[in-house]
Amino acid sequence: MDNILEVKQIHTFIGQFHILEGVTLTVPRGSIVALLGRNGAGKTTTLKSILGLTPPRDGAVIFEGTPIHGRRSFDIASLGIGFVPEHRAIFRDLSVAENLKIAERKKGDLARKEELIFSLFPDLKRLIKLPGTSLSGGQQQMLAVARALVPDNKLLLIDEPSEGLAPVLIEQMMDAIKELSANTTILLVEQNFIVASQLAEHYVIVDEGHTVQAGLMADLVEDKATIHKYLGAA
Amino acid sequence: MDNALANFKKNRTRILTLAVLAFLFFTAVQGMDTQDWFITVMRGLSVGMITFLVAAGLSLILGLMDVLNLAHGELFMVGAYIGWTVFVRPDTIVDYLPLFLLLGAGFPLLSLWGVLLGKNRPTGRVAQIWPWVTLLLGLGLTVWLVQNYPVSMWNPANYAESPISFSLAMAQGRMGIPEATIAPFWMLLGLLVGSLLLSLSVVGFQLRSSTAVAPTEIRREGVIATAVMVILALLIYFANDPITTFLFEMPNTGRFFLAMAFAVLVGLVLGALIEITLIRPLYSRPIYQIMITLGLSFILIEFTRFVWGRPEFTMPKPDMFEGRGEGCPATNIGDLFAHNCAIIQINGARIRYYNEVFIIAVGLVVLVGVWLLLHKTRLGMIIRAGVQDSEMVEALGINVRQVFTAVFALGVGLASLGGVLAAPSLGLSNAMGTQVLLFALIALAIGGLTSFPGAAAGAILVGLMQQFMIKYGQIGINLPFFAEPFKPSPPLVPASTILLMVIILLILPNGLFGRNE
Repeated sequence: MDNILEVKQIHTFIGQFHILEGVTLTVPRGSIVALLGRNGAGKTTTLKSILGLTPPRDGAVIFEGTPIHGRRSFDIASLGIGFVPEHRAIFRDLSVAENLKIAERKKGDLARKEELIFSLFPDLKRLIKLPGTSLSGGQQQMLAVARALVPDNKLLLIDEPSEGLAPVLIEQMMDAIKELSANTTILLVEQNFIVASQLAEHYVIVDEGHTVQAGLMADLVEDKATIHKYLGAA
Repeated sequence: MDNALANFKKNRTRILTLAVLAFLFFTAVQGMDTQDWFITVMRGLSVGMITFLVAAGLSLILGLMDVLNLAHGELFMVGAYIGWTVFVRPDTIVDYLPLFLLLGAGFPLLSLWGVLLGKNRPTGRVAQIWPWVTLLLGLGLTVWLVQNYPVSMWNPANYAESPISFSLAMAQGRMGIPEATIAPFWMLLGLLVGSLLLSLSVVGFQLRSSTAVAPTEIRREGVIATAVMVILALLIYFANDPITTFLFEMPNTGRFFLAMAFAVLVGLVLGALIEITLIRPLYSRPIYQIMITLGLSFILIEFTRFVWGRPEFTMPKPDMFEGRGEGCPATNIGDLFAHNCAIIQINGARIRYYNEVFIIAVGLVVLVGVWLLLHKTRLGMIIRAGVQDSEMVEALGINVRQVFTAVFALGVGLASLGGVLAAPSLGLSNAMGTQVLLFALIALAIGGLTSFPGAAAGAILVGLMQQFMIKYGQIGINLPFFAEPFKPSPPLVPASTILLMVIILLILPNGLFGRNE
């Protein structure tokens, strides 16, 4: 099986702080990989380092066989990497339609994907003209995911999709992510282990900026000791 | 209906503040004759529009890239001086344009040098030294050439040859075509070589460290840009005489619009250059950015003093706005346009065509134009999104730095337009930039710093406040507990706008249209 993304021993600094001290992970094409770890372990920074938003100072990021570290973020994203940031970072001053439109990389992207997006998140169709400010938390999260679906992305980096959502919405979000994984590869950061374990086939655990363990999710679910050690609650 | 009610509740303080302001305005107007308050409102709008042209760019730049461009007022001033030069002494522009074009012509070739150097890269000590050698050679050649070129436009120290005299000559209609001083052709070639050397050294410095990646593709638009610049420079150089004669003999209204267009163009180029060379390297150090824009403002003031001299001078108004013959002063808009009257009389108030009609009209056009740009185009959508979160915009695959450059250029272009527009009514002086920057900053604070409608509303409020205070300085205002009408003295005029800002910020800490952060 080929790997769509390989991250090799990256070191990232934010200001003076050495946040990532050697994170390594591989994402097989077509899979869902969950990036697990405690708060502050460096999960979000790993996603941002892959995208070049916090460029790694050392190590390598290889996407489809070509090194992409050191390139500008927009350049990396244009290769077909979508990003769903944490805290539902949608554009509040833009309408729902504009939030989707801005993600187009080619003319007509949105028109082609509209059907898929509205079938995954039927609510958005109703809200299409409203400004981002008037959306509820769950709706904003859906919009943030939908935005990453507009262009043809080969890899989606999704940060905490279930954070702060009501249980009903978590289910809807999980269904959406499962459906997406049929066509795209997904690297998922998820605090909620139950959600992560139901979605992902593979896992990577980071702790204090290091990769400590990686493997198949099916094995991790059995390994209560590891779960307890690195993720807190079981 | 529910929606409207919810909206009202959300914006209660804002609506109340606006209502109180409207009430105060109403009471302020009560004690005045109709003609007085009408002319004061028109003047306030006029000053407000000039302030708006500066505030608009300032707020876009501050919002999108978090840069407070303290040089913005001085760029307004430079726009005014450039506009004056095109309008009164177009021959200097024709003389100098080829030189500037050739001096810049080397720089679009950066990617070409990068590719050539990438193929056989110098290593070791050579790689460290040669960029310096090229830089010194290029700089030396350019400086030597420029020093030996007879700088002949006017002599600010000599009254008869100073900009003041040229303005006067033009206003009195006795302006001849000054003799052209044309650079020798070898100097043009020398500047081109100097420019190529300088651009080569830039690439040399970029590739000095061994980890820097050389570009692999020659950008075709760069090569085309260089070719266009060289051809344009040669055309202007060889057609110097006919172009100069044409510019002097065309109707001066046409030349005025040309001056506006040229000043905007210079503003756009200057803005892009400033962003690329000074602001871009410092995005991670916001304090340094503010310092560098402050420094730039001093440099720009000294530069205009060096070129145009210290004294203030006026810019004549174009003929279109100066009709005084038959049918003038006009009594209705139709007459105004038919006879190009300098003045239109409405309700007994003498409204000046240029100051109170044309400036407001241009301001409104810009207001609507920028609004359309922000709300109806993809670029505008990216700008509005970037104001909130430019990192996320970049993560969507959009080259935000290009958008930054475009917005900075646009902002400076607008300020420059404001400068030319203001010059015939306010005159030109080295201090005009600092003044307008102060009012623009107050307008920004009132409007909510990064909000475009806020900048417009703030600028108009500042303009009205200022003009009403000036008017009250003349006619006095009846205040309770004062026996005599109170006449605010001139220093109270800027103070009153600050007072307005303080009051609004006390009620609405984020300004009229600001967002809670």
